[in-house]
Amino acid sequence: MTAQKLPSAFYDLEPFVSWALAKEQERTSKRLASSMEDIQTFYDTMSPRLEAVIEYLNQLSLDNLSPEAERLFHMSLSLMEVANAVEMFHNPAVIDGFDVKRFIPVED
Amino acid sequence: MQTVIDDKRWAKKYPEVGTGPVSAEPLISQEHFELEREKIFRRAWLNIGRVEEIPNPGDYIAKDLVACNASVLIMRGKDGAVRGFHNVCSHRGNKLVWDEKGSCNGSLTCGFHAWSYNTKGELTWVSDEENFFDLPKCDLGLSPIHTDVFEGFIFIHLADTPNESLREYLGGVADQLEGGGFSELALMGQYKIDEHANWKVALDAQNELYHIPFQHRRTIPQFCVMKDGKFTRLLDVRLFNHHSVYSSESPDDRVGPATEKLAVQFSVAETEYRLPRIGPFDFYTIFPNMALLLFQGVSHDYYMTYNFWPNAVNQTDWDIKLYCRPAENAGQRVGQEYFKCLLRDLLQEDANAHEQIHTGLASRAKKELYFQDDEMQIRYFHKVLERFYAEA
Repeated sequence: MTAQKLPSAFYDLEPFVSWALAKEQERTSKRLASSMEDIQTFYDTMSPRLEAVIEYLNQLSLDNLSPEAERLFHMSLSLMEVANAVEMFHNPAVIDGFDVKRFIPVED
Repeated sequence: MQTVIDDKRWAKKYPEVGTGPVSAEPLISQEHFELEREKIFRRAWLNIGRVEEIPNPGDYIAKDLVACNASVLIMRGKDGAVRGFHNVCSHRGNKLVWDEKGSCNGSLTCGFHAWSYNTKGELTWVSDEENFFDLPKCDLGLSPIHTDVFEGFIFIHLADTPNESLREYLGGVADQLEGGGFSELALMGQYKIDEHANWKVALDAQNELYHIPFQHRRTIPQFCVMKDGKFTRLLDVRLFNHHSVYSSESPDDRVGPATEKLAVQFSVAETEYRLPRIGPFDFYTIFPNMALLLFQGVSHDYYMTYNFWPNAVNQTDWDIKLYCRPAENAGQRVGQEYFKCLLRDLLQEDANAHEQIHTGLASRAKKELYFQDDEMQIRYFHKVLERFYAEA
């Protein structure tokens, strides 16, 4: 038995809690390290739930989220991270893109 | 405003800029790079950052500018004033500050022999001072650099006496952007890109939208209004004394991806916040190496800056910064993340292309470049370059 990682209304998203990453560089790294199949499954499951997720999170103060709500928030950011992979590139990385090791986000 | 689709409007508006081919040599030659060090990077106002990076007295930023043979220190004094100095100790010439950003409690101390300076750059303490000979301490402050601020953007000028004030230098750009309220936005994303390309190859590649439906066919093919749905047409082009701006608007029938629609929906805010845009999208080239991009957002506009810092004829640091209104809730923050990731991904398309273009040009297989009418602003940038190269 594992402890609940997300607010209970979003229990169905628990299998994707590994996408709950606070930093852009972490989210990008996970996108690039994931198979397109895994990205697609995360996208297909989370996208239809996003309006409900935001409706829930918008009632809370961003500065004072519970660990469960914060994971949900970070998963929403990860969905934004992978959206282009699904909708534009059909590939985890940017097609014909720059070497990401030399394209450095200066952290959040 | 309504984009007019007619061909060759900008050459009619600015006939003096001409229509002929432009030499590719300045983009690749070592001689031009050396010329630029003296005639451009020491003779133009250079944007070095924003005042929000040094909000408190004692805060500083330091930057090595290879193209200027200089290390620059920008510091907010105890009196609140923003000052620029050469980041060089008066004793033996050691670099005073070694980190790129920091805060001091009233004084900076050189790591070599512990000479100390206050936030006005004055030399305040010398270790073992009694053992020196007639040290003119009052004259041994940090060497000042001309520094001025426009709308929160910090600029420096490395000449002994700049021939224009910052306001005069910015000219029509300042007229358009003055009072724009840029300080109401905060840094939301920042990237540093180490490019194997000339700084002007990178800037020129960004300084037009002609490439959008081709190079960005996967990301933003419908970014702006197009003739016959195929070729981009700018809403406006304006040339200033050293600078330029082009503007565009989005097609009414644009169909965005599903996640963009959600991001737009989440980005709706109760109050609008607008920047002094000409069109829905404005791209300023602020000579020599800065671009300022203004975007129409759903409720809140946002802006980006590019600074292209040459390290060698074929090496450039491309600094990218995105500024947004602070998000009021999770939805707005998620909406911002969508636009940030989109911009970042499509700039990865651009950055790769910059290197491919540089490789192509460096072969000298092509001696001249042909620009179309909607690339007028690049042609003008090269005219301004020529003017700076030629100045005595």
